[in-house]
Amino acid sequence: MSHTLHRRGTAENLKNDFVIFAMSAKGINEIDSNVKLRRFLEIVREFNPVNFGDMKTGNYFITSEETIIASAKDTSIVHGVFDNREAFIKALKAIKDADLGVSVIVSGLLDDTHECCRQAGINRHTCEASLGVWGKTERLPDEDILRVSTMCGHGMVPFSLVKKVIEDIKEGRRTINEAAQELAKPCQCGVFNPGRAAALLEEIMCLWGIRVA
Amino acid sequence: MKVDESKCLGCGRCRAYCTMGAISFTRDARGRVCAQVDQHECVDCGVCFRAEVCPGEALYEPKPEWPRSVRSTFSNPLVEHKETRIPGRGTEEMKTNDVTGRFKWGEAGMAVEMGRPGTGARFTDIEKVAMALSSLGDIHFEPKNPLTGLMADKNTGKMNPEVMDEKVLSAIIEMTVPLDRVQDVIGAVRKVAQELSTVCSFDLTCKVHPGDTVPAFDLARKAGVSPTINGKTNVGLGKPFFEEVKQ
Repeated sequence: MSHTLHRRGTAENLKNDFVIFAMSAKGINEIDSNVKLRRFLEIVREFNPVNFGDMKTGNYFITSEETIIASAKDTSIVHGVFDNREAFIKALKAIKDADLGVSVIVSGLLDDTHECCRQAGINRHTCEASLGVWGKTERLPDEDILRVSTMCGHGMVPFSLVKKVIEDIKEGRRTINEAAQELAKPCQCGVFNPGRAAALLEEIMCLWGIRVA
Repeated sequence: MKVDESKCLGCGRCRAYCTMGAISFTRDARGRVCAQVDQHECVDCGVCFRAEVCPGEALYEPKPEWPRSVRSTFSNPLVEHKETRIPGRGTEEMKTNDVTGRFKWGEAGMAVEMGRPGTGARFTDIEKVAMALSSLGDIHFEPKNPLTGLMADKNTGKMNPEVMDEKVLSAIIEMTVPLDRVQDVIGAVRKVAQELSTVCSFDLTCKVHPGDTVPAFDLARKAGVSPTINGKTNVGLGKPFFEEVKQ
């Protein structure tokens, strides 16, 4: 599952959105990889990610960091999200230096992550990009909604929930940051970037009426 | 997902947490407002249940029988496919390519993610795309992908007829193609996309070639499709490292 691939946005609003994650290859280096994946999470945590998680256990906003780390299994995919480029580069370098032996993948603007890898002393191995959305695209909501919801590649952040939190903010039931954290909860893996979500919500708030159809 | 009507308070808090908009509200015989889930549209993703927003704990998920069981395995990332032992919908694809060597020099990984973003897909649409891609010939569907396992005929892309009416949040058709077929696959997807009742997201993977180039991306541009400015990069730290003789 390319769960961090199709994050929609512009160069400007994606520039502070970095995901780093790790996993073992089943049947090749999976045995006892849980120890390496825990170490990966511990290293990521040192650099203050804005989200953090394991698909099997959950994310920052629904369980504790300690539970996420302690629960990592050989088959886990473990993630961290940064909204700070320098912290991301430092985390990348620390993970390289730790020489864990599990596969590490980064997501973000391709040219910029390439440069971040270079600064961390890492060469790119394989790249993946989206060729966009095809088919009956008239069924999709506004781009404003998509930019927020597609931060969860598994589709766990419903379009209707993004609309609901916009209404909540408009009507004073939640702050923008509270809304962004609510949106982060269903994204089990912890790849949702609440900081980016808050910035996107703030940007679009004035464009939406009180009733979001 | 189902609603225990005796516990539902009709508060409406669950509605926004439905990925498919399948929750609605009606009055029962006594005039009480109660949630109901359209079972034809619900994909059993579990988001409404895990959100823990129901004050009456009325939402519950009975263990589904085949073929409905495919809904949760493709829609709920907490459910592992027995074929891959990976939670989620696809395989490790490029994520472990440094160790597995799944995609080599001279090849591209391509995937069509049916129903993504957030729209869902029925197997009738999934089959249309799988068959269109099969008709190109020399397209190798990823054998470990759970969707490949649901094909009745891997040579034609025909799906198991028992699942045809099932709906999933998304499902990925994964394949490996020689680089010189990338533009053909793009052409086939462009054509079949016009027949779909849903959306699909299209992925393109390529090993970084000598000279730090990603030739599949250039081929996509030549076919009139620009790869997005953001994406994923495997940074080659896995061990044992898959060694490949440079072409």
